[in-house]
Amino acid sequence: MRLLIVGFGFIGRDLAKAIRDKLTIIKMIDEDFKVVGVSNSKGYVYNEGGLDIDRLIRVERLSDYPRHYYAGGSSVELIEKSSADLMVEATPTHIEDGEPGLTFMRRALSKGIHVVTPNKGPIVLAFRELTSLAEKNHCEFLYEGTVAGAVPLFSLVRECLQGDRVLRISGILNGTTNYILSRMYFEGTSFELALKEAQESGITERDPSYDVDGIDAACKVVILANALMNLDVKFEDVERVGIRGVTQEAVSLAKKSNFAIKLIGMVDKTLEVGPKLVPINHPLCVHGTLNALHFETDLARELTMVGYGAGKETVSAVLNDVISILKRRAASKQRS
Amino acid sequence: MKFDLTLALADRPGQLLMALEPIAKNGGNIISIIHERDKPAEGYVPVSLVVDFPSKWNLRKTVSDLRGLGVAIIKSEEIVETTRATVILIGRMDLKRLIETRIENVRITGFEVSAPASKEACVKLDLEVPTGSFDKVLDELKQLSKEENAILISSV
Repeated sequence: MRLLIVGFGFIGRDLAKAIRDKLTIIKMIDEDFKVVGVSNSKGYVYNEGGLDIDRLIRVERLSDYPRHYYAGGSSVELIEKSSADLMVEATPTHIEDGEPGLTFMRRALSKGIHVVTPNKGPIVLAFRELTSLAEKNHCEFLYEGTVAGAVPLFSLVRECLQGDRVLRISGILNGTTNYILSRMYFEGTSFELALKEAQESGITERDPSYDVDGIDAACKVVILANALMNLDVKFEDVERVGIRGVTQEAVSLAKKSNFAIKLIGMVDKTLEVGPKLVPINHPLCVHGTLNALHFETDLARELTMVGYGAGKETVSAVLNDVISILKRRAASKQRS
Repeated sequence: MKFDLTLALADRPGQLLMALEPIAKNGGNIISIIHERDKPAEGYVPVSLVVDFPSKWNLRKTVSDLRGLGVAIIKSEEIVETTRATVILIGRMDLKRLIETRIENVRITGFEVSAPASKEACVKLDLEVPTGSFDKVLDELKQLSKEENAILISSV
């Protein structure tokens, strides 16, 4: 299979490194596997015969890659001209309009190119449209990295809970807010100080509202509701309260009664993101930048998954989606 | 509806059988019975029953019939299944209003305040709520916190 990587920021680069490191395993599944194109907002590199991954990782700008493979055009141009079978879309998330990722995904799926993405924006805004487009064009559309990074929750439900009906999902869906609330819980620091620490250690943006106002967690609630509970909900349907108003006094009061305050996303009768009291012996009571998801289903009853939800760990989910597609295609090729 | 019914029966043979008759006659289904014969006090034995009656009226009729038979009633009250919950409210709020708010069937079993005079005042409430009306109570608390411009943190 021929792969395109659209978006060559942290995730795109880390994915390329992971592909380089795991190439032997990947080639065992698909000996013809190659990365044929990589793009960012400035341009793209393309080689039908396969790019040199090691070289790609070492170049600072894509234009530094041997010039005859470089074009200053757009990612859409790359998608249209390539003969790729699979695209990883890893551009930055914009939840207002889902762009530019939404356009790239529409183009790729319309051409019958399988799509793997950790980009939340398009999934929040156009989940039904994109899944229908994939179905219509007989290709796969996987998005494991969009919620709780490395935690394989969509794979779990898809593969291991096939007979179950998911009744309720609750969880810590944002590592940054969990880090801040954990600092307030263990060190007794104020919200402002804990936020500053989070910014200094690089786990939150300069404008932290995406995390601390619950926007990121609300996006994930929408994705979980639509993808796992077959709902058709929008971002505006989520009742959202962030953690800016959570004071040190509140955290201490909760602690004295054996609770920790956590920003919890919930898919239940209503969709909600807000600070909640979590008993310290509850499986969701995890600290630091960890994410945790608690599923209630009709047969398995209760399941909790814990793991890291952002940054490098997301590459694990993206690569697993890529390998899953490679395996299924290899199996169907064998059958035919 | 389940009721806790505690009677004081004279420590004489046949008293328990006599007391059970009006219960059965009024549609009561006895769920449990504790007959503490080893703890007679001044010639009376306490008998504790949990009885399922179709309505409060059936209980009242039973109590009246038992009194007519000379049976002393120590306790007769409905058993309400309750859920305990803790909530925290953050923000300057009218504590008196909060305490005096009569959200139906809610019992405040614990109350702790931190920095009450500041705009970041915190109130922790331990509540006992009839299990069936837990969501309703939470909605009313949400409404109250909105009116007071406070943040409500409920249990997960």
